[in-house]
Amino acid sequence: MFFGFGVLKGMTVTFKNFVLSYFSKERLTTVQYPEERLPEKERFRNFPFLIYDNKPEDLRCVSCDICAKECPPKCITIVRDSDEAGKPLKRPKVFDIDFSICMNCGICEEVCPFDAIFMDHEFELAEYGRFEDLNYHKDDLLKSNEYFAKIRPHDAAEVDARLAEKAKKEAAAKTVAPPAVPPQPPQPQQN
Amino acid sequence: MTLFGSIGTISLYGILFALLITAILTVTVRNLFHSAIFLAFTLLGVSIVYFFLRAEFIAGVQILLYAGAIMTLVIFAIMLTSRISDPSVSQSNHQRFPVLILIVLLGSFLILAIAKTPWQISTSLKTTNAIELGKALMGEFVFPFELVSIVLLIALVGAVVVARSDR
Amino acid sequence: MDQIFVSIKHAILNLAQTFLPDWTIILLSILISVTAIAVFGPVTMMYLTLLERKLVGRIQNRYGPNRVGFWGLLQPLADGVKMLTKEDIVPANADKFAHFLAPVVIVIPALLIFAVIPFGRGMVAVDLSIGILFFLALSSTTTIWIFVAAWASRNKFSLLGGMRSIAQMISYEIPMVLSIVPVLLVVGSFSTVSIVEAQSGLNWFVFTPWGFVGFLLFFLTGVAEVNRTPFDLPEGESEIVAGFHTEYSGMKFALFYMAEFMNTFSISAIVATLYLGGWQGPFLPSWIWFFIKTYALIFVMMWFRGTLPRLRVDQLMGFAWKFLLPLALVNILVTGIWLEFKTPLNHVVTFAILAFCLTVLYLVNKPEIPKKRIYRYAYQD
Repeated sequence: MFFGFGVLKGMTVTFKNFVLSYFSKERLTTVQYPEERLPEKERFRNFPFLIYDNKPEDLRCVSCDICAKECPPKCITIVRDSDEAGKPLKRPKVFDIDFSICMNCGICEEVCPFDAIFMDHEFELAEYGRFEDLNYHKDDLLKSNEYFAKIRPHDAAEVDARLAEKAKKEAAAKTVAPPAVPPQPPQPQQN
Repeated sequence: MTLFGSIGTISLYGILFALLITAILTVTVRNLFHSAIFLAFTLLGVSIVYFFLRAEFIAGVQILLYAGAIMTLVIFAIMLTSRISDPSVSQSNHQRFPVLILIVLLGSFLILAIAKTPWQISTSLKTTNAIELGKALMGEFVFPFELVSIVLLIALVGAVVVARSDR
Repeated sequence: MDQIFVSIKHAILNLAQTFLPDWTIILLSILISVTAIAVFGPVTMMYLTLLERKLVGRIQNRYGPNRVGFWGLLQPLADGVKMLTKEDIVPANADKFAHFLAPVVIVIPALLIFAVIPFGRGMVAVDLSIGILFFLALSSTTTIWIFVAAWASRNKFSLLGGMRSIAQMISYEIPMVLSIVPVLLVVGSFSTVSIVEAQSGLNWFVFTPWGFVGFLLFFLTGVAEVNRTPFDLPEGESEIVAGFHTEYSGMKFALFYMAEFMNTFSISAIVATLYLGGWQGPFLPSWIWFFIKTYALIFVMMWFRGTLPRLRVDQLMGFAWKFLLPLALVNILVTGIWLEFKTPLNHVVTFAILAFCLTVLYLVNKPEIPKKRIYRYAYQD
């Protein structure tokens, strides 16, 4: 219309923004952080944690070392446990993740065949000491399955269903089939 | 005179001394850009002296034109000249001694002439000197005023014509 | 209530007169005015930065800073501490003398302008007989120091910012000077105090046709002189890094920032003085009216900042030379005509002339929109 009309229209839009931002809280796009928080999203990916089923000794990790091999910046250190005789056990003795190196990519969660390591939602982890405090050991990383179900209900339900199915199939296979006789190697024909 | 008047005199002499220093620095500094900065300070100092002499309009116009417009022009000219800070371009004068003698002679002649002339000190004005200046420019001196404005117009048009590229 | 500051000053002077000789009283009065300005200037600048951040934040649907102190009121102190403790980096190739001098000298005109602003009835620091000319002269000296800052940094982007800044400031100075002339024609004096007193009652100059156009002109050119959005190409933050103050950090950058905000305040104050009637107003004390008007204009400047995109350099120069300058000249002519005729004929005639001139300028300045191209291949017919 007249010269400068576009400018005035734009300025009324911002003036409306300005005035209404004092009256309606939904208009504001930010939250006052320490007092209010935004709702957590389920697939938010921060640092990893290890899962145990009922007691912290029943952790699912068998120290197969796949996550340490696949980790791009190599932040996972695993040492397999062994009993008194020296025979290796299916349990890690040392499981360290250096959080100052970990880049939250989630590859360790994707490649773990035993559903033992998943990505957590905790982000308020600031520390003063980089080498002393940010190197998380096995005891710091262990969290229960109930915690996993609380933060990621869909993924936890899916993992639990899959594990329950596998346990049912194993139990079924054990009861139905007789103990299998190992097949005899073919006798050499005496000719 | 009263102590307050002597404070005024002391500050005037202080300003004049600072003005002298910046003027000397303008012509002795090696870097051409720095000497332009000192020239701007010198012109500002001159306008402060005008304030002391109760010629406020001239002081204001001095700041507006000299330190605002003409110094911008000088700095543009310096900037567009290439190689101003090139060490191979000699910044000092090789004929210093003959010129010094000449300047001492000329300076003493001028100082004697200034000191011996009976200067007429005008009575202080009742109205702002801007109003007096305006009346004089439009009344008694209107012809030189119009002539100067035509000269400026010619200069402006000439600059535009010279700076245009041939299309 | 109206004269509270003046009476405080007189009380101090009377108290001092009992035991000090006469000449020190004059010195003391000067010192009080100077101290008031020297305290008021930087404090205003600090709280204007906070105001800007909160205003622009609310315009963008978010809170401004509100963590440091209640409502963010201690945020400027935090900013000040940050700027003071930052490392002062001077580039190795920079011209050290000019690099140091530029931010120092650029604050001086910004502070000096406060001396001629009438804050209230009888509250002007120096009643110069050339008040407005003083303001114009000082605002024109800022140009050269911006260029010194740009040149001394030895940085391509700074130099580009400096050149654009000189071009912009010189171009917008001419309509600014010309838009003050109508006020001087009507009042007959340069002094800011007499300009405010000539607008007594409610006949502020902005209510007359030439005054309204002059107000818009002076406000727009003032915004351009202070390098604020939409005219902030010299220091455009997303375009040429930070323009002429790229290479400055810490306290030197704080001085540039301080100069910019003090200039914002002074331009708003001078616009309020010239066109909006200064401290004139019905019920409230004079200095409250002055601050209301000044801060209303500052709000509009910050509103511009939150709304408008930056003008391109050719649009900027075209606006100044092809639109504002002819309008300013016609405004002077129209003021002369207004002074000749009597009311209400002069209102009608001046309004008609100004409307005609504005339409002509708008039609002449329409941007050239090229025709829509239609592509045609050779094998099609």
